[in-house]
Amino acid sequence: MKLSLRRKASTIRLTEPGDSIVVEGAIKSTGSRTRSRFAITIALFMGVFALIGGRLVQFGVTNPDFRHPAAADRNLVSRPNIVDRNGEVLATDIKTASLFAEPRRIVDADEAVEMISSVLPDLDLNTTYRRLRSGTGFAWLRRELTPGQQNEILKLGIPGIGFRTEKRRFYPGGPTASHVLGLVNIDNQGTAGMEKYVDDQGFAELQEAGLTVGAALQPVRLSLDLRVQHIVRDELMSAMERYQAIAAGAVVLNAKTGEVVAMSSLPDYDPNNPYNALEKDRLNRMSAGVFEMGSTFKTFTTAMALDSEKVHLGDKFDATKPIRIARFTISDFHGKRRWLSVPEIFIYSSNIGTAKMADTVGTEAHRAFLKRIGLLDRMQTELPEVARPTEPKEWKKLHSITISFGHGMATTPLQTAMAAAALLNGGKLIQPTFLPRTEREAELTAVQVVSKKTSDAMRYLFRLNVEKGSGRRADVPGYFVGGKTGTAEKVINGRYSSDKRFNAFLAAFPANDPRYVVLVILDEPKPEKPGAGATAGVNAAPTVAGIISRSASLLGVKPEFGHESKALLISHQ
Amino acid sequence: MFRTLDILLIAVMVATAAFTYKTKHDAERQLAEIKSIQRDIRYEQDTIDVLEADWSLLTQPSRLQRLSEIYQSELELTPVEAHQIVEIIDLPAAPLEIEDILSRPLGGMAGDVGPTDGTVTGGIRQ
Repeated sequence: MKLSLRRKASTIRLTEPGDSIVVEGAIKSTGSRTRSRFAITIALFMGVFALIGGRLVQFGVTNPDFRHPAAADRNLVSRPNIVDRNGEVLATDIKTASLFAEPRRIVDADEAVEMISSVLPDLDLNTTYRRLRSGTGFAWLRRELTPGQQNEILKLGIPGIGFRTEKRRFYPGGPTASHVLGLVNIDNQGTAGMEKYVDDQGFAELQEAGLTVGAALQPVRLSLDLRVQHIVRDELMSAMERYQAIAAGAVVLNAKTGEVVAMSSLPDYDPNNPYNALEKDRLNRMSAGVFEMGSTFKTFTTAMALDSEKVHLGDKFDATKPIRIARFTISDFHGKRRWLSVPEIFIYSSNIGTAKMADTVGTEAHRAFLKRIGLLDRMQTELPEVARPTEPKEWKKLHSITISFGHGMATTPLQTAMAAAALLNGGKLIQPTFLPRTEREAELTAVQVVSKKTSDAMRYLFRLNVEKGSGRRADVPGYFVGGKTGTAEKVINGRYSSDKRFNAFLAAFPANDPRYVVLVILDEPKPEKPGAGATAGVNAAPTVAGIISRSASLLGVKPEFGHESKALLISHQ
Repeated sequence: MFRTLDILLIAVMVATAAFTYKTKHDAERQLAEIKSIQRDIRYEQDTIDVLEADWSLLTQPSRLQRLSEIYQSELELTPVEAHQIVEIIDLPAAPLEIEDILSRPLGGMAGDVGPTDGTVTGGIRQ
């Protein structure tokens, strides 16, 4: 700038004095031109500096983004831990390192193979050697190393070898709570069970947005108790083995809150290695399978009859002759061939007596009652695998009669336990949940379905059946167990088979004020010894006893020995 | 031919450059430190996760049951029976013992050769 100015000044000085006017004009004209040039230059510089300054301010104002650039890295997507009601880990994410090589950068493949195999002795030498010599950009050598192995390979310092961390879902309990927990797929998205429920609650969207990477997620607490869950599964395993059953299942339900404390269905799968999880035989029978529950349904028929006030505990029904309706004959398995009172019908599990009780109430009222206690609708719970119960398209008298003793309609076992809990907890229907729930929260959603009086009568009948009826083997001294057996004949090729059975035992304890409902099902159990029976009283009932005796103290039920079942009858009247 | 102002300005410029450089360098060092601490934290968190999974694996009820079955002969652990559970109020009261104080010789009498305690009273000089 200065230079050009001086040059201009000297040119002016060199001009002849004669052309002063011209010169003056020239000076004037050049002077104004210079000034405008000045202005342009200044404006230019000002512009550039303003730009730089503005950018600086912008940098200063915005917060730098320190987030991991690999937000879209699917392998690092984390899921919340799932813990049981006592905080024991049921499902967690663990980081594993996977070993890869960049063959193009490998200097000496022989040496590299030798060194790696010193840490991983079971590595296939030939394949690895071929991979390292392939000259490609990338090759996996081994997935999911332990931290110890990773450290040792790092120490070897082989060039062209690297690690990539991957997150893997890990279930420390293995198959213990498999059906409740469910599964995740390779992208760590829940595909079944509570894992899917977590995703459906909006977690999937968060994951999609990449907000779950490296974020500290609160664990999801379930209502399960890992210890009880293990006991239930352990008892079922031994029952399946002892009675040669093809399947077994059980649920322990809190009668006052609807919390599922334990639920197991065998055969199951190991969620850490779920190669067989989708086999049809391994479905969750407790909530996704529907069965004709058999005599356990007499519980509902009896409750209905008592709640309708048309039948009272002292009433007697004629069970001398089988009932003939349409082309069917309904007779009793343990026939007494005499008039039976309501408690006798219940403890001898009389089909005839129960059918007559249902008949007293009427077909329409029967269906309405089952609808009221939630046995005809799909139950509302968190687990995605819930089956819809089946019922006849049109209810005729025959249907009402067969359904009164548990044939002709199918429900899920969990649903049966829920309805039984409603009959025994004072008459409140509470939908089962797999998340912790307090009694107060349960009260808010509870629906009164039967009267307190009916509930008291059911407690008495349940206890009576264990003291004098078919459920004797379910008794556990100190816990005042009450229950009802159910031995249903299975439908094979459209006919009821007499040697293939579906057994169930529906229990509640302590019977004076049930806190827990336990339901055990056994599919096609065989007699323990040749010649012995295979009814629910000899296989499902002792399984319930095993579960209760081992888990009652963990569930916080105080043993009491002074119970009188007479007191139950009095409290009803 | 530098004027004082020029020299002053150059000095200021150099000083500013030096200051900027130092600040930038410090910031980078701090950032590296933060990153290293963050890496350490992440490592610790991962280790905690692995250890928690490990703990959970080792305390699995199924594993404990298997172990107690294997070492049954030494541990002799059996499930708790209902009759073994009682509350403190259910415990019988401790039997009341009436101490026989009459037949015991009276203590604290003159001539009683009992053990003397270590207390020395101020009134007696020995």
